[in-house]
Amino acid sequence: MLAASAAALPALLATAGCRSSDAFTGPDPLAGRPALSPDVVTLQEVIAAERAMIALYQAAVNVSLRPASQVRGLLAQHRQHLGQLQARLVLPPGWASASPSSSRSAVPNRVTVEVLRGAEGASATDLVRRLVNVPPALAQLFASIAASDATHVTALGG
Amino acid sequence: MAEGSVAAVPAVSAVQALQGVLAAEDAAIFGYGVAGAHLSGSRKSAAEQYWTAHNKSRDALTAMISALGAAPVAAQAFYRLPFAVHDASTATALAADLEDGVTRAYLGLVAVSGQKWRTFGALAMQDSAQRAAFWRGATVAFPGLS
Repeated sequence: MLAASAAALPALLATAGCRSSDAFTGPDPLAGRPALSPDVVTLQEVIAAERAMIALYQAAVNVSLRPASQVRGLLAQHRQHLGQLQARLVLPPGWASASPSSSRSAVPNRVTVEVLRGAEGASATDLVRRLVNVPPALAQLFASIAASDATHVTALGG
Repeated sequence: MAEGSVAAVPAVSAVQALQGVLAAEDAAIFGYGVAGAHLSGSRKSAAEQYWTAHNKSRDALTAMISALGAAPVAAQAFYRLPFAVHDASTATALAADLEDGVTRAYLGLVAVSGQKWRTFGALAMQDSAQRAAFWRGATVAFPGLS
């Protein structure tokens, strides 16, 4: 018995007439990795979107898109957004800190002010859509970032 | 904090939050009256336009609060300004400050449960954040929170 592997444990417990959940008062360790709550998944998706926005702005900086100082200023604010979003995310040990989609974000071949403006507007809309189903503190952060993004649209000439 | 969780804040009632927004709108209406007297040209036009927008918001909020069965908080006869306003520069700073106050109040509404209130608050604070950015001449990373 002492040499039994973890994989064999459910069968042994079944033989003894009990389920693995009977042996513990906490979560069943044999039930596999628990699912993250919808709030956390939403936050991960918003973080991935913010990273994509930063990549877009970084591409704009790399091609010296004008007005350069304004682009850099807005990029700095998006980095602040990312920092606050990441600070709200607490994952169980072993979970990746970023959702898989964050590494797939594609930057258009040609980054223009119009592209940035479109991305800002889409982000503001998306955040307002998402904030209705998350806890109040997170909803307020989403709303604040959405408002910031909306002011970016105007700052970019929208 | 629990694993895989996000921070929480205490629940606020819709009426409570709406009363806060109404009070902020009333303060903005008063403040724009002071600021507008020190502005000219396009800035004075903007102040008049925004004053009108705040009046419309005040009326809409009053109707919303009444529809919820509560008595809308009354406007004060006088509001203490955050600093002395004596020229165009301080008037512009006051206008930005007023919009920041309105933005914070609408952000309070976003903490209320219910899609209707949250969406309303989030969209309304975008307008006040835009106006604050106009007066400030710059955007901020966290309107209503900073």
